Amino acid sequence: MDRRTALRIIALGAATPQLQLLKAAAHNHANLNIAWTPGEYKLQFFSEAENQMLDELTELIIPADSHSPGAHAAKVSLFADLMVATGEESEKSKWRNGLRMMGEEADRTSLAQALAKAAEHEEHPTTELEKFFTLLKQMAINGYYTSEIGIHQDLEYQGNTYLSEFPGCTPTP
Amino acid sequence: MQSTTQEFDVCVVGSGAAGGVMAKEFCEGGAKVILLEAGKQVDPSQFLSHMWPYELPYRGLRDEKQALFYQGDVRQSIRYEDSDQIGMDRIRVLGGRTVHWNAVTPRYAARDFREWSLAGVEEDWPLTYEDLTPYYERIEQMIGVCGHDDGLEIVPAGKHYLPPLPWRCSEVILKRALDTMGIPVISVRKAVLTKPYDGRPACHFCGHCMSGCDVSAVFSSATAMIPQAKATGNLTLRQNALAREILVDNEGRARAVSYFDTVSKQEKEVKARIVVLCAATIESARLMLNSRSPRHPNGIANSNDVVGRYLHGHLGKGSYFYLKELEGAKPFNQDGATDHVYIPRYNHLAGKKDYVGGWQIQVNFVSYMFPYQASKLPGYGPAFKAQVRRMQPALLFFGSFGKVLALPENRVTVDPHHLDADRIPIPVVRFRFGENDRAMWHDSDRSLLEISSRLKCQAFLDTDSPPGGFASHEVGTVRMGKNPKTSVLNSYCQAHEVKNLFVTDGSCFTTSAEKNPTLTIMALSLRAADYIKEQRRKGEL
Ligand SMILES: Cc1cc2nc3c(=O)[nH]c(=O)nc-3n(C[C@H](O)[C@H](O)[C@H](O)COP(=O)(O)OP(=O)(O)OC[C@H]3O[C@@H](n4cnc5c(N)ncnc54)[C@H](O)[C@@H]3O)c2cc1C
Ligand code: SF4
Repeated sequence: MDRRTALRIIALGAATPQLQLLKAAAHNHANLNIAWTPGEYKLQFFSEAENQMLDELTELIIPADSHSPGAHAAKVSLFADLMVATGEESEKSKWRNGLRMMGEEADRTSLAQALAKAAEHEEHPTTELEKFFTLLKQMAINGYYTSEIGIHQDLEYQGNTYLSEFPGCTPTP
Repeated sequence: MQSTTQEFDVCVVGSGAAGGVMAKEFCEGGAKVILLEAGKQVDPSQFLSHMWPYELPYRGLRDEKQALFYQGDVRQSIRYEDSDQIGMDRIRVLGGRTVHWNAVTPRYAARDFREWSLAGVEEDWPLTYEDLTPYYERIEQMIGVCGHDDGLEIVPAGKHYLPPLPWRCSEVILKRALDTMGIPVISVRKAVLTKPYDGRPACHFCGHCMSGCDVSAVFSSATAMIPQAKATGNLTLRQNALAREILVDNEGRARAVSYFDTVSKQEKEVKARIVVLCAATIESARLMLNSRSPRHPNGIANSNDVVGRYLHGHLGKGSYFYLKELEGAKPFNQDGATDHVYIPRYNHLAGKKDYVGGWQIQVNFVSYMFPYQASKLPGYGPAFKAQVRRMQPALLFFGSFGKVLALPENRVTVDPHHLDADRIPIPVVRFRFGENDRAMWHDSDRSLLEISSRLKCQAFLDTDSPPGGFASHEVGTVRMGKNPKTSVLNSYCQAHEVKNLFVTDGSCFTTSAEKNPTLTIMALSLRAADYIKEQRRKGEL
């Protein structure tokens, strides 16, 4: 990266004047029915065993590393349960069958090897197991990167704020 | 049926981009106006725009932030038959789609009104750019538009812009590449306040325009036009009032509008001397087709069977570029006010093509919160996660919008055997993209590839999917024209066959350019309002 761009971006990250007054207005949504409270969440679709496997699989897809926690800490499997439980009927059987196939494959080898096999032809999936990988990976992505951990700890997203001015990119990179 | 005895000067149906302008203009002109709005107000304090995904029931992935604006069964009660991949955007809320639009407001160019004369396709509009210029100027000042005059003929500029939005680093990098290709990129013109204006505060750069602006810094009819109309004391606003039919007198002139009160579940009727439809492209056509009477057996003002025809909109597509120069940068806040720059149509600069029309590119209007690259990169595990993170600050997004020809066979009709929840025949849409549309779109793909090769980037382009539309830009079903045989309205949006019926929403477009339609919708509404006021003064209406 051009050195000047780098300098400017770092400065942007630091200089974000906040308008606290406006911010107060944004959290005035007492009527919203929030279904998502991971602390008390009870499984609605997956069995405990399925949830356990899903938790391990999603953690293999987006693991904890030295930078941030992974899918397990972000409780991605519970998010998946909510989405599948409240989603289309046709999706439900895909999930149930997909996890069953993963389980059978894992019994022969290991869960990590089952996942590797499922991911082998990601660009052009043909087998049912390979098609299930596409579904599973997208769910892991959706769950993780919309969680507090994904947004704030991993991506360190700086936005959704109230700025009094937008700094733009100067000097020109 | 409940009917009020009062006769209003004007009944406006729908309170979106067009309806807001009409209500305000007539009320301020001293007319007694009744505004029928099928939806109801959602106060900006109820918008969910600033909520974090994990504060929403389904993390926002099921459109929770926008669902507030699509009231009743409006999204389900439509049928597509024999159609390409298109979707109609029928909203039901006070303010219409301006409640969560993106507010990009290019003017049409002189050439965009003259497709027949210049390119030998479609039809010329019954008015010219010069006819509309004063109204463009006025509407830009009414709604507050930021931007800059870059002297480009393809996007004529106004005289009164608020300061332009500052450019992001990715946009500066983009300009460097486009400069080498002779493709202009300019500051976007949009109805976002870069400083306080008309009693509304300046933008705070949260990027949430399309979920609704909590401080009304982006123009919305609901918070900018309707309150001003109300302040005159001349506005009667009926919310939850779904217009069902335009009723006519013995001469076939509009005399009243019947509507269904979706809360009390009662049929009602209001009398008015003039009826102005602003219910948007699908609804205005549906309303007219459902308004059958002995004088208008084929629907009101439709003896030539043109109402509902010529439905069109934009081809739309998204492209994601991850700029090497920004990869691995320390995360920084890029939200801004969605698009800050704009690539006007440029294919005409390279000489004549074997197709007609072109495309514009809107830049960076997607959220910076979600890592789109994660769904596009292969693999998983630690390296995958780290790569997603590295690429996150490097996004440059293009939304291309392409011209679609207005053809009579593409149309909306109504199905009297299939009623919606309010017992009104549903609209049925038939639409196919034509050869010209596909040829133009194919050339836009070629051009996107060329641009991506000039940017040092990893690009995710979608050149395989079938063309899709309409990017919420559907227009054309109650078209204006010089020829009463092939059009419904004259250049003042007045029905050829029913002198006291006007249609000023997007359905009145004769043809489309590649540009976003709404500024033109509002300018046409202003012009129609002036005409109606003048005709009333003369006693003609
Ligand atoms: C996410 C998004 C982004 C957009 N971005 C842009 C942009 O950047 N630039 C641009 O130019 N355009 C943009 N648009 C499109 C723009 O919003 C529309 O072109 C514009 O609002 C159309 O104006 P209208 O008056 O024709 O209809 P609308 O604004 O849709 O208003 C129609 C109104 O009629 C009401 N109604 C419908 N049926 C009835 C009935 N039977 N009785 C009574 N009332 C009825 C509706 O409730 C609504 O209030 C965007 C749209 C969306 C959704
Ligand atoms: S970016 Fe600006 S105009 Fe858009 S919603 Fe945020 S404050 Fe409103």
